[in-house]
Amino acid sequence: MPWTILFFIIFGGMAVGCALSMVAQRNPLYSAVSLIGVFVALACLYLTLASPFIAAVQIIVYAGAIMVLVVFVIMLLNAEEEARRPYRLKFLIPAAVGMATVLIAEAAFMLTVGGASRPDPQPPLVAEVGLTASVGTGLFTEYLLPFEVTSVLILMALVGAITLARRTQVLGMADEDLAVAGGPAEDAAGGDGIIRPGDTEATGQAMAREQIARGEAAAPARRDEDEEEGE
Amino acid sequence: MAPLNWYLALSAVLFTIGVVGVITKRNVIAMFMCIELMLNAVNLTFVAFSTYFGDVTGQLFVFIVMTVAAAEAAVGLGIIIAIFRNRESLNVDEASVLKLDGRGGGGGRGPTYNPGLSPPAGRRPPFTIYV
Repeated sequence: MPWTILFFIIFGGMAVGCALSMVAQRNPLYSAVSLIGVFVALACLYLTLASPFIAAVQIIVYAGAIMVLVVFVIMLLNAEEEARRPYRLKFLIPAAVGMATVLIAEAAFMLTVGGASRPDPQPPLVAEVGLTASVGTGLFTEYLLPFEVTSVLILMALVGAITLARRTQVLGMADEDLAVAGGPAEDAAGGDGIIRPGDTEATGQAMAREQIARGEAAAPARRDEDEEEGE
Repeated sequence: MAPLNWYLALSAVLFTIGVVGVITKRNVIAMFMCIELMLNAVNLTFVAFSTYFGDVTGQLFVFIVMTVAAAEAAVGLGIIIAIFRNRESLNVDEASVLKLDGRGGGGGRGPTYNPGLSPPAGRRPPFTIYV
């Protein structure tokens, strides 16, 4: 069927082109947009493989959720263009491209000459495994346990993401009132100045105060009122 | 559909491009996106094999891989944001704080302990740790 081969060449070329663009771009936002192009091309390839469910899930989950999250984080952190890499890392690009060439040559050999004794598998006349009904049947009968375990995994990811994004408020004192070097030891150590074991924040601040008193470390710069992060 | 080997070759090429990106990039978000590209290359292999051999296991594995990738994206980007809060930089070369002489955090949160300096006198450990 020449049509599917034509579609494979078009979408395969689009996937490889967008992947190369993603790696070559210095601006992370352009990389993100190129990666969305890769995902769309892969979804079309899944359609040529008679898997409409996976194609739809690819667009919904990868291009529609994960990449939106990545673009949101890029814009939140105001990621800039990559700076010039230091001289000690200049060898990375030739080394990586060289190893990639070796890997692709190995794969090409395996796929053409290496498997010559075995005949190519014929594509099936009717492919029913890609239909949503088949995927649903397998997911809820034979592979029910992985499905339930992924629900626990998503719960763990939810708890982890919330914990990472949580603001840890120092009890009893706002950040702009924290005393710099020589101040009372009340900021993170509780009311009576006793540092509990395992209280890494209070320990770090106490050691930093000692270093500042000994003159080894610089006192931290105060932030403006309107730039307070409130961590 | 195209011969199976073509799909496998395309998947190998995409995976290799992802590996080159992870090795070469210095921006931590760009490295994360290259890891996602590698996961998608493997997804393509799974779906190709599943269609050619009539086994639904491949499709389900892709489903699970996508779920794990979504969870990993949420937690990984949370970690990136937490690292950025302390270090104000997305360069992985500056995130080598596990080294003994790595630069620690610094912000406006108050005095921070600088791990590159000597430990306070009187609390020196009786042995030296070689890393």
